[in-house]
Amino acid sequence: MRNFVLILIVALVVLGLSSIFVVTEGKKAIVVQFGKVQKDADGQSVVFEPGLHFKIPLIERIITLDARIQTLDDPSDRFVTAEKKDLIVDSYVKWRIEDFAKYYLSTGGNKIQAEALLKQKVNNGLRSEFGSRTIPQIVSGERSELMDLALKQAAESSDELGIKIVDVRVKQINLPEEISNSIFQRMRAEREAVAREHRSEGREQAEVIRANIDAKVTVMLAEAERNLLETKGQGDAQAAKIYADTYSKSPEFYSFLRSMDAYKESFDSKQDVLVVEPTNDFFKYMKSSAQKN
Amino acid sequence: MAWNEPGGKNNDPWKNKGSRDQGPPDLDDIFKNLFGKFTKKGGGGGSSGGKGFGNISIGIVVGLLVVVWVISGFYTIREAERGVVLRFGEFNQFVDPGLQWKPTFIDTVIPINVQSIKSMGSKGSMLTEDENVVGVEMELQYRIVEPYKYTFAVTDPEQSLNQAFNSALRYVVGHSTMDNILTSGREVARQQVWQELEAIIEPYDMGMAIVDINFKDARPPNAVRDAFDDAIAAQEDEQRFIREAEAYAREIEPKARGQVNRMAEEAQAYKQRVTLEAQGEVARFGELLPQYVAAPQVTRERLYLEAMEQVYSNTSKIIVDSQGSGNMMYLPLDKILERQNSSTPPQGSRSTLDGLRSDVVTGQNSGNANPPNLRSDSNRLGRTNR
Repeated sequence: MRNFVLILIVALVVLGLSSIFVVTEGKKAIVVQFGKVQKDADGQSVVFEPGLHFKIPLIERIITLDARIQTLDDPSDRFVTAEKKDLIVDSYVKWRIEDFAKYYLSTGGNKIQAEALLKQKVNNGLRSEFGSRTIPQIVSGERSELMDLALKQAAESSDELGIKIVDVRVKQINLPEEISNSIFQRMRAEREAVAREHRSEGREQAEVIRANIDAKVTVMLAEAERNLLETKGQGDAQAAKIYADTYSKSPEFYSFLRSMDAYKESFDSKQDVLVVEPTNDFFKYMKSSAQKN
Repeated sequence: MAWNEPGGKNNDPWKNKGSRDQGPPDLDDIFKNLFGKFTKKGGGGGSSGGKGFGNISIGIVVGLLVVVWVISGFYTIREAERGVVLRFGEFNQFVDPGLQWKPTFIDTVIPINVQSIKSMGSKGSMLTEDENVVGVEMELQYRIVEPYKYTFAVTDPEQSLNQAFNSALRYVVGHSTMDNILTSGREVARQQVWQELEAIIEPYDMGMAIVDINFKDARPPNAVRDAFDDAIAAQEDEQRFIREAEAYAREIEPKARGQVNRMAEEAQAYKQRVTLEAQGEVARFGELLPQYVAAPQVTRERLYLEAMEQVYSNTSKIIVDSQGSGNMMYLPLDKILERQNSSTPPQGSRSTLDGLRSDVVTGQNSGNANPPNLRSDSNRLGRTNR
């Protein structure tokens, strides 16, 4: 009797425990019965919210699915643009499960498979958007339109998977390695041109300044020279006037006086040898002391 | 609830037939039931002391288990955190910092730090609007504001934020020119990244708030760094050339002005000098003139004799009386000049003396031999030399 009761208790406990299940926040659950997803009266799949729920043990199976926003982030892909140039693009997709039953049926609840299917659809959308635009449009002008359109395209087809695409975003757009070098060349050449322009403009302005000042100085000095000669000339004229005014009072006396000074100045050293005749006026009284008039 | 199912199934795990809707089971009833069971079971066997021992030990074990369960429910929430409480997986409530209690196995508590500010960075090479490449680095500071959303909205919210940050940064740089990003457009870029990032993460609803974004660095790629530095150096050079020219101008103009001034002064000085000289000279004439007018003959004779005296006393003389005799006279001028050269140091040279000069240099005594026809200054008439 005792054993039977014990076994009964244990069996009941186990049965009880297997008929309750807990759904944590951030997850949802669906019930699969005999391979079919359980539906309610309206024909909609039954989705269990977070909390404590009950099920029929052994018959009903619970599939728990992540209800949060997932991120699909794959390594960079290569896309061709309208100009037939290559771009290396790194993008990510934010998605969440919208229709849990459809998702389970189309992917078997396998996230990796779901992401693989999703990636194909999204890449298709991106490829067509990239292929119809030029690089400047992709990098700047129509960057956001591009992402919106890719999202829309992918969203249409992701409904089949029971997935809602929340966001498609381009993280990185880079040019392939081979092209980087030629870009660097171009940047270098452009910088060089700028550098040369600056330097020669600087020299040009310096020349202008120098030429200006040189011209100014030359004119200044020439004017000064002219003034100098003018003034000197004035001085000379004044002096000449003074001389003339006075000397013209008695030109002959001036001539006499000036000659005397000239003689004194010219013959003033022993080097000078004068050969004179005694008939010179100076020797008037040398020959004889008679009175002369 | 399992023990309340309308079907009448009575699957109460604790076998509590009496209290159906009374929340946590009554401890006394547990004791009694288990007690009762084992006494029933042990009733058949019946050892004298076994009854008492069995009851007490089972009771003690159960009591210990309950105590352990109670103690395990205590936990603390730190000052900067809030706790998210899930009851049977379902969100129940938030708990504030302090000492709290939860029923283990039933409740789960996730503490989330809602005050500390964390940071993450984003950097890399990216394309600009004009198809150039720049390296940009920015830093983001964020805080968790809604712990529920942070935990249950997105898988790995930090990574999502990082990806969004990367995307926003490259989006903004892709809409700027390289010059802008490297120089004057940094503040604008920073604000634009902030706006763009907010717009991106809004639909994600992750419960995080962006506190600050900092623009750390923007530089051209390493491969072209030299060219960029040179362009900057060229700007400096441009300024330098201009400054040098200005310095030259500033130096030369005052110098020229100085020279102009000097020339003006020089001219004035010359003018004055010449005038004064003239005035001086004519003054002498002016003084003499009245004397001359008063006694012309005497004055003339006097002036003449004074002048001649000075002339003859300072020079060498040869008096030749050529009238009267028709003889050729021999005048050894070279000897005379030679003597004159030796007695006084040669001053201004005449061309005829050049040939004699070498004899002078070898040194000569001043010979005083006077040929009879010559008079030298040594035969003066007792007059002192003027």
